[in-house]
Amino acid sequence: MLCLNNISRSFPGVKALENVTLKFRQGEVHALCGENGAGKSTLMHIISGNLQPDSGTIVLKEQPVIIENVLQAENSGIAIVYQERSLVDALTVAENIFPVNQPKTSFGLINYKALYANTTALLEELQLSHLAPNTVVGKLSAAQKNMIEIAKALAKKPAVLILDEPTASLTHDETEVLFSIIKKLKQANVVIIYISHRMAEIATIADIVSVLKDGVLQGTVAADTPVDTIVKMMVGRALTASVFSSNTTGNVLFSAEDISGKGFSNVSFRVHKGEVLGFAGLTGSGRTALAKAIFGDAKYDSGKMFMNGKPFRPGHPADAIASHVAYLPDDRKAEGLFLEKSITENIAAVHLDTTVYNKKENERLADGYIRQLSIRTPASAIHVRKLSGGNQQKTVLAKWLSADPELLVVNEPTHGVDMGAKAEIYHILKNLTAKGKGIIMISSELPELLLLADRIAVMYQGKLVKILAKQEATEEKLAALASGIL
Amino acid sequence: MKLKDRFTDRVFTLGGSILLLCIVMAIVFPNKFPTIDNFSQLMLNLSIDTIVAVGMMVLMIAGMFDLSVGSVVAFAGGMAGYLMYYHHVNFVPAIMAGVAGSVLIGFINGWLIARVGINPMIQTLAMMGIVRGFALMLSGAGIQNFPYEYTVIGQSKLFGLQMPVWYMLLVVIVFAYLTKNTSFFRRYYFIGGSEKAARLSGINVEKMKVWAFVISATLAGVAGILLSSRLGAALSTSGRGLEMRVITAVILGGASLSGGYGKIWGSFLGALFMALINNLLILSRVSGYWQEVILGAILIIAVGIDQLILKKMEK
Repeated sequence: MLCLNNISRSFPGVKALENVTLKFRQGEVHALCGENGAGKSTLMHIISGNLQPDSGTIVLKEQPVIIENVLQAENSGIAIVYQERSLVDALTVAENIFPVNQPKTSFGLINYKALYANTTALLEELQLSHLAPNTVVGKLSAAQKNMIEIAKALAKKPAVLILDEPTASLTHDETEVLFSIIKKLKQANVVIIYISHRMAEIATIADIVSVLKDGVLQGTVAADTPVDTIVKMMVGRALTASVFSSNTTGNVLFSAEDISGKGFSNVSFRVHKGEVLGFAGLTGSGRTALAKAIFGDAKYDSGKMFMNGKPFRPGHPADAIASHVAYLPDDRKAEGLFLEKSITENIAAVHLDTTVYNKKENERLADGYIRQLSIRTPASAIHVRKLSGGNQQKTVLAKWLSADPELLVVNEPTHGVDMGAKAEIYHILKNLTAKGKGIIMISSELPELLLLADRIAVMYQGKLVKILAKQEATEEKLAALASGIL
Repeated sequence: MKLKDRFTDRVFTLGGSILLLCIVMAIVFPNKFPTIDNFSQLMLNLSIDTIVAVGMMVLMIAGMFDLSVGSVVAFAGGMAGYLMYYHHVNFVPAIMAGVAGSVLIGFINGWLIARVGINPMIQTLAMMGIVRGFALMLSGAGIQNFPYEYTVIGQSKLFGLQMPVWYMLLVVIVFAYLTKNTSFFRRYYFIGGSEKAARLSGINVEKMKVWAFVISATLAGVAGILLSSRLGAALSTSGRGLEMRVITAVILGGASLSGGYGKIWGSFLGALFMALINNLLILSRVSGYWQEVILGAILIIAVGIDQLILKKMEK
């Protein structure tokens, strides 16, 4: 149905794709994997008309085609759900789902009645019927926005649907909904191209898997191929599964007693020195709100917090930093980084409480952390926008490590990071606990919580439901608690 | 610094353009352009604008701007003049009152923008009108006959250059040093880069914003005192259109409306470049009406070239 023949594309200095030949069949979920920079995005941009191949041909429905732009791709029935959002916050759900192809009245004006009816039908299909079509998108949660993004692609009734990391910010339930929709589309003979880092998902939903490495196709295998084999194709070597020993001590570093604020209520817990306390829960369960309150970025109404036994009442992130608390936000690009600034300046951002701006010292710090955390960059003066997701995340970590925190709150620390960098980030975090630092780790990836955390707290609708010890926690148990079932 | 970086550094490219322009003008007008008189007059003309532009550069680094500075220039001069002429106040407290009033205006701007959340464009546009009204009330049809001590501030000379030129250089050098070497001023680059990330890095963004408006209004107030002292008169129309001229100079000097970029020397070079173009047009006897047309075109060309270079670099 959709064939790519010998596609090559290079950018100055890099061959992003080299002679890639792929066949996508109707009614088949074809997963694409590879580390960041393997060429998945370039390939996707070529199919969707954002980029032109240097050589090679695309054959769609037995016809050779040249896809010159996004509009042409859409007219050929190719729809894509990007990882980055393409929604306008100020407009309604219906307007976002139908940005151009709105139903018209006989006068040529927008037929809102039909527009809302079409939207409601789509929302029902996505099990989002609790959302009104005239809800303003800005009010939705990250996961809901992600689902709207998918609805927007479905509204085009595509013959080819490309999903780029669609579950990155979806919770367990929403992922299930997405998978059931994908199954329906399969039956309707849609070509589905599924890009993901998550091996478990690929095994569940995909039929076949193609692996890219450094722009070269490594092979196409059945989706039930053992994960180890696929990973080996991706990274070129086998990754040894890490097992971490606990560094937790009996000394309490941080404690929260019955704290309540916007989005969470009556939460109590302790973090010991050297401990990783995991936080599981759905999007909107209050984990991020709690983290922001601990970091002084959001107000909390009642309750007490203690840091090293002393009362701790941060009114601003600066207060938290002064008490040696650090926060790695989930939205790395908007909240964690200064994208147009160098690695050095990003680290310097937490050293601006001195009178004199010490450029030399900041450069020394940056060079030190580039080595220590193996941030892959040609120089410390490189703008962080140009770094890969993993190296950007390591830059945010470097910034906080340079502030010498005792308690590090990390929110989705490996979101959108490739497998190599993930393993490195795990080691960085675990090494911190060996030095007696405490870590609060919010994550929607249960395997990583089970791997790193000493205890796992589960939040549901703003309440801390339960804290499980590592030994008693399983993925099923955590998912059930997070959904309010147990 | 690498050659490629130099090429994208506005202080360098604008400095080069100015040098080139000077050489061309010296060749074309050998008797009129490269003279002490012309140079001294040129510097004097740009001194007031540059002092205001330094404050505007600080704001624009942080991703904001202030439209009320032109009115503040008229207000500060009017305030000092009013006190000296009608109430026979000594020139020192009169100057202090003019500057203090400006500080207050800056504080109100900053407080409403940072703490209440009014958009800078709307807030300072409103303040531009309000302050211009006060300036009219204070100086009416204009105040003259200032005490000698007051006029000497702006009318005396040192080493052949008028005093305002020296004040301007002092302001530029001091602020260039501060923005490069103090954490306080470096914070503005981070706020302009990403307000959210700056806050989450422990920077008190609201407080810093208030300070930025206070700094900008203070410099505008000082400029207003200097202008009225130099003219020997406080006019309610002083500084009309100055805000746009200053923003033009600052953007020519390398600032971006979204913030995060800019150097203090850029604001001086931007103003100098505009003054040179002005000088060139006068020397070539081009009608004054063309001046605005040409400056507008230059701004578009400069920013357009920037965007083209940016696009090229991204590819």
